[in-house]
Amino acid sequence: MSNTEICEKIKGMLVENLRIPADELEFDSELFGDDIGLDSIDSIEIIAGIDSLFGVQMTGAARENFKSIETLAKYVEEHQGE
Amino acid sequence: MSNMNDNGRVVVTGLGLVCALGEDSDKCWSAAVNGVTGIREVKSVNTDGCYANVGAEVLTASKDLSDEDYDRSSLLCIKAAGEALVDSGYKVTEESSDRIGVIVGNCVGGAASIDKYFTDELKNGGGNKADILKMPAAAIANNVAKHFGLNGTTANIVNACAAGTISLSYAADLIRAGKADAFVAGGSDSFSSLAFAGFHALHALDENSCSPFNRSSGITLGEGAGVLIIESYEHAKARGAKIYCEVLGSGVSSDAHHITAPDPEGKGQMLAISRAITNSGLTPNDIDYINAHGTGTAKNDEAEFLSLHTIFDGNDHLSVSSTKSMTGHCLGAAGSIEAVLTVKAVCENAVPPTIGYTEENLGALKEKAGAIDFVPNVKHEKTINYAASNSFAFGGNNASIIFAKEPREIPDRTNKDRIFITGIGGLISKGRVEISSDDYKAHGIKMAFYRKLDRFSQLQLLSGMQALADANITVSEENEKDIGIVVGTADGPMTEIVGFQKNVIENGTASGSAFSFPNTVYNAAGGYFSIFAGIKGYNVTNANSIQAGLQSLCYAADVIRNGDEKIMVASGTDENTDTTEYLYGKLGLLNGSLGEGSVSLILENENSANERGAKKYAELVGWATAHKSVEFGTVKGSESALKAAIENACKSAGIALKDIEAVCGFANGVPTVDDIEKNTYAELFGDIPVVRVKDELGEARAAASAEQAACAAKMLGEGKYGYVLAAAFGVGGQYSAVVLKKVD
Repeated sequence: MSNTEICEKIKGMLVENLRIPADELEFDSELFGDDIGLDSIDSIEIIAGIDSLFGVQMTGAARENFKSIETLAKYVEEHQGE
Repeated sequence: MSNMNDNGRVVVTGLGLVCALGEDSDKCWSAAVNGVTGIREVKSVNTDGCYANVGAEVLTASKDLSDEDYDRSSLLCIKAAGEALVDSGYKVTEESSDRIGVIVGNCVGGAASIDKYFTDELKNGGGNKADILKMPAAAIANNVAKHFGLNGTTANIVNACAAGTISLSYAADLIRAGKADAFVAGGSDSFSSLAFAGFHALHALDENSCSPFNRSSGITLGEGAGVLIIESYEHAKARGAKIYCEVLGSGVSSDAHHITAPDPEGKGQMLAISRAITNSGLTPNDIDYINAHGTGTAKNDEAEFLSLHTIFDGNDHLSVSSTKSMTGHCLGAAGSIEAVLTVKAVCENAVPPTIGYTEENLGALKEKAGAIDFVPNVKHEKTINYAASNSFAFGGNNASIIFAKEPREIPDRTNKDRIFITGIGGLISKGRVEISSDDYKAHGIKMAFYRKLDRFSQLQLLSGMQALADANITVSEENEKDIGIVVGTADGPMTEIVGFQKNVIENGTASGSAFSFPNTVYNAAGGYFSIFAGIKGYNVTNANSIQAGLQSLCYAADVIRNGDEKIMVASGTDENTDTTEYLYGKLGLLNGSLGEGSVSLILENENSANERGAKKYAELVGWATAHKSVEFGTVKGSESALKAAIENACKSAGIALKDIEAVCGFANGVPTVDDIEKNTYAELFGDIPVVRVKDELGEARAAASAEQAACAAKMLGEGKYGYVLAAAFGVGGQYSAVVLKKVD
């Protein structure tokens, strides 16, 4: 799976599970900053979504990995198949 | 107390309790006061893959709770109500049955039936249609009323974990207002995969038994029902009833902070507790015992600890305990179960303990407890003259109520000002309402906020904000506590509930959605609205079928009349989604005529309206609710209650039936419904103009019944007519009626 494909999948999950309007969500949008405004409950949902999409465990992963779709995808690429 | 005015006295005359500690109030009390836990390994929910598997379930099977074919929440409530009614010796006769009503607090509604229906649907080849009518919380009070032949006012207070305390508060308020002699009041909730999966997803469950004010590492869920017979003293005295104790004042408030977490500064909690104390004519130093909310989550316990230490600083005889350490957290039943135990504590002069402290924990407690006695592990025997019970909930809803051993005259706060409708807002349509991001932008609602909302909450937020804007009300630090909210709904956030449940059925209890779960509680919509608008006063959601939107006006007017708030937002809200259409379609009801929306009206006392120079659409001069309980989902045989609601609304307005010049009616095209309306109006009014709002807007349920009042107010505002009536029905025989008058 290419990086773009992973990003697309994560974006689809965020749009579906966290009701973020697709047209307001870029791969580099700051998820927990002012633009999207995610919070701790959303991070639980992201962890569950990443696990179910890629089988990658993010429980306990450092905060910076949750910064954007791009950083999430990077984490997935680095930890897939572990 | 020879010069005591008995008019405002409200007493407890019966107790009923079923929870993991036992099946009657004596058994439960005996276990609680002796520190026996009801927390065991969970049986009724599959906890595979979950990090926790303990709960406080009632061991009795549903079929042994009652022979009725209802959802477990109703059956638990019937079991407890049966005990309470027998205990009270209250004889319900046909003639007096309209003077005793049913107010039930509830959180998860028919969650067990929703689970069963969709498990059958997804895994067993098809669900049973009968389970669909067991799904909404709106069925519970009706089921209890029908079972016992009670025909007074009903309400299902669905404010999550504060519901069981708000229901008692409302019951006492209505009795003081002369609207009933007594209520079967309390709360009920069954154990459910919905709640277990939800709190699991939020990582809010303790792996072991919960340990409030101690380890505070999460809750343990429980189930059960607590019911109190709340009665006017005059009525209790006249029938020679045994009196347990007095119900003094109560307080209800909103945090306006976060949808699941309490305000860490405890401001909303403190407002509810302070209101209860002030409304009882007491000071903090008078309180001997508080049955705390004490859920065992770090956030609750820290905030409540702070609230208690702040308010009761200087009280050297206060005991505080959390009986949830034994009963588990019974959600919508919690406040009522704890009220029963608190009443017992007052009568028996014993404080039940919080259990679960080790020697090491006791040392840590000593360091932080200050002057407060947290009753670790072992009961304390002492005289309890005044005891409070606290409940705090998702949505930031807080409630506190006070019980007293001896009679005590409480301040009469009745506000006799006239009440006006000073704002109207809403979105309502046959089929579905269109919502775009522009609708949010118009009120400055950012995407980060509104994306969290399910359909039901979206509708409520927008209509509430529209109504505030229409009334030209800006919520500020000056007025935030003078404004309250009543949301009425038939079906609540059923789409979110069903979506959450289906996912749990398909993927397991451990796969619950943390994002979705907060929206599955019926009061999330009112909670989001209070958070965005900054409203910190009274906040309640009542699930009571189609008429709940109009009942909101009655409830809101009672809150204003009671002197609790100056301004109330009264809303009716119901969504129409694929899920709604699916469920109604399976029942074969309202095909093609469903609508959805939310309509909010601002009710305001005259003084406040005049001070602000508010425009006035109409004056709310009369309001009444009535119930002739028939099988939930039907209306046949309930005509007498429509008549009673209209007659009582006119009576409270001080006018004759003939003064009514037009009606905004509830006909929805279903022949049995339309016939009841047509025949009743013909009997009461002869020939009278009837506006059929649902012809155009569809059966938008609670939104439509609120719209009927909005429609009447607008007609009067345009100078048409002097008095207009709006009346609405519920499926189970609930009716509300309001009389609006042209502003003079």
